[in-house]
Amino acid sequence: MKKLLFGAVLLTALVFAMPLVLSDFAVNLATEIYIMAIFAMSLGLIMGYAGMVSLGHAGFFGIGAYTVAVIGQHVANTYLLLLLAVVMSGLIALVTGAVFIRTSKFYFLMITLAFGQLLYVLFWQLKTWTGGADGMSVSAVMNFGFGEIVSPNGLYYVMGLAFVISYFFLHLLVESPAGKITKGVMENEARMSALGHNVRVYKLLVYTLSGSLAGLAGALYAYFNVFVSPDLSSWMFSGQVMVMVIIGGVGTLLGPALGASVFIYLQNFMSTYTERWPMIMGVLLVALVLAGKGGLIHWLQHGKRLLVSRKRTGEAVSQQTVKKGEAVH
Amino acid sequence: MSAILAQLLTGVAYGMLYFMIAAGLTIILGVMNVVNLAHGTLFMLGAYIAFTFINDELNFWIALLLAVFLTAVLGLALEKWLIKPVYGKELEQVLLTFGLSFIIADAVEWIWGTEMHTLPTPDLLSGSLSIGSTEFPLYRLFVVLVGCLLAWLLWYLETKTRIGAIIRAGVDDRAMVSALGVNVGLVFTGVFAFGAALAGLSGVLGGPLIGMYTGMDNEILVTSLIVVVIGGLGSWKGSFIGAIAVGVIETLGKVWFPSLSMLMVFLIMMMVLIVRPQGLFGREVA
Repeated sequence: MKKLLFGAVLLTALVFAMPLVLSDFAVNLATEIYIMAIFAMSLGLIMGYAGMVSLGHAGFFGIGAYTVAVIGQHVANTYLLLLLAVVMSGLIALVTGAVFIRTSKFYFLMITLAFGQLLYVLFWQLKTWTGGADGMSVSAVMNFGFGEIVSPNGLYYVMGLAFVISYFFLHLLVESPAGKITKGVMENEARMSALGHNVRVYKLLVYTLSGSLAGLAGALYAYFNVFVSPDLSSWMFSGQVMVMVIIGGVGTLLGPALGASVFIYLQNFMSTYTERWPMIMGVLLVALVLAGKGGLIHWLQHGKRLLVSRKRTGEAVSQQTVKKGEAVH
Repeated sequence: MSAILAQLLTGVAYGMLYFMIAAGLTIILGVMNVVNLAHGTLFMLGAYIAFTFINDELNFWIALLLAVFLTAVLGLALEKWLIKPVYGKELEQVLLTFGLSFIIADAVEWIWGTEMHTLPTPDLLSGSLSIGSTEFPLYRLFVVLVGCLLAWLLWYLETKTRIGAIIRAGVDDRAMVSALGVNVGLVFTGVFAFGAALAGLSGVLGGPLIGMYTGMDNEILVTSLIVVVIGGLGSWKGSFIGAIAVGVIETLGKVWFPSLSMLMVFLIMMMVLIVRPQGLFGREVA
């Protein structure tokens, strides 16, 4: 716990110190990265800790974003809007997830894809509320009770804080008994079931939490971007966030966040040179699958292990190897 | 009454089109355990290739054959160089075919641009057949005919030929078939190329029906995934029933509840899943 607190303080300090050295453009980019990192962590949670590969996660992101955009026209309270976004996406995740988790791997993938695309079509077709394909601008302004937050730096701090809180919330979750059981379910469902755990309840729990966190990311994005469109729920976007998770590495919390930052940076960097970003992303993905082993976070861990194993005794090294075995799963 | 009959035919024609696409998807899934997320993109590619040939003053039918041939060759190459290394690794397959769909879709946009196109209906089939007071467009009837022919062909291949026997056996026990001296790798390559050819074929046939635009690959992929889910994993018979159901519901839904037709299809999928999680004709899967 002490270590966790120390980590929290360190991470918060880092987040808050960054604008001192970053340019305005970089601050803006970092703000977007925090939001996408929350989104990527939410997908990383079900992929890496429950073995559920969803290709419709952008659906929840869209629900969160449209909640702020549509309901924000009538309700100004930021707390209430964020809560609504989280609850709405969580509820929809709960209801659909209850059906989806009955299915096996390929089915789950296809159904979540169809579900995400369904929401995309809905946002597209409910023109009177959502503005259809043209999207809609967000009139709600972020206000936590001490003035409107509209400046880039203000938004940066909010999103940075949201990221830190989300990370430690997820950290506590995966380290909790429920989180450990879920991971056990991923590794051997039959065994956990035989041990008397209701496997479906745990799967549904993480799926619901993951959905509501994605909804939160979407709501934050609506405030950040002040414009929402159906594209936020397209499978293209679901795929992008999956790419973020894969680049960073499945099976850790920070991996997907790291992947998100690399992805958003690359996207911004590449799009100034060429329009062919989807193709570059596709090639990147194919190359990662065929040649990359486990994503960035695993390369970093591997590098760290190499350094550490030179210094420490044999006992420490063997402990590290056990950890490696866990990470690979 | 006649209006409903005409709509029904349209629905069945769309259903047959979905069947042709979903059949390729589900055969690859059933035989090789690969979810090919690039399947919709191969469909789109088939349509655009035929579009280019027809613009070069080529006959519709020759363009069709060329497009089918080229998508099959592409499928062959993809299987050989990219899919082969990831057999048995589910997540990798998904990501790989997903990446491929991005590459191919972006290439299509690069080559052909983003404006909408449509394939001309072949001269031979541009008229319509009137029965009583109802007009049935010939081309739609033709699509229905092709769908039925394909279903018959699949049935024949599966039950009456050696290839079908090998594939059925391979689904159950891959190692045993391999031990009996069958080159399973070759069979897989063939199946993937066949699936890609089906995608190309349905793309060309769908061109005059649904037009061509960027993003069509996603729509068609999602629809065919729903068909596969309703029908049952790897069962082309299930796809046949599921596709016709989806086509008819979608078309009639568009007439009665224009903004909710997609929702209805999705709700039906949810209902099927609640009652039978393995799909209508799917086998129990672990």
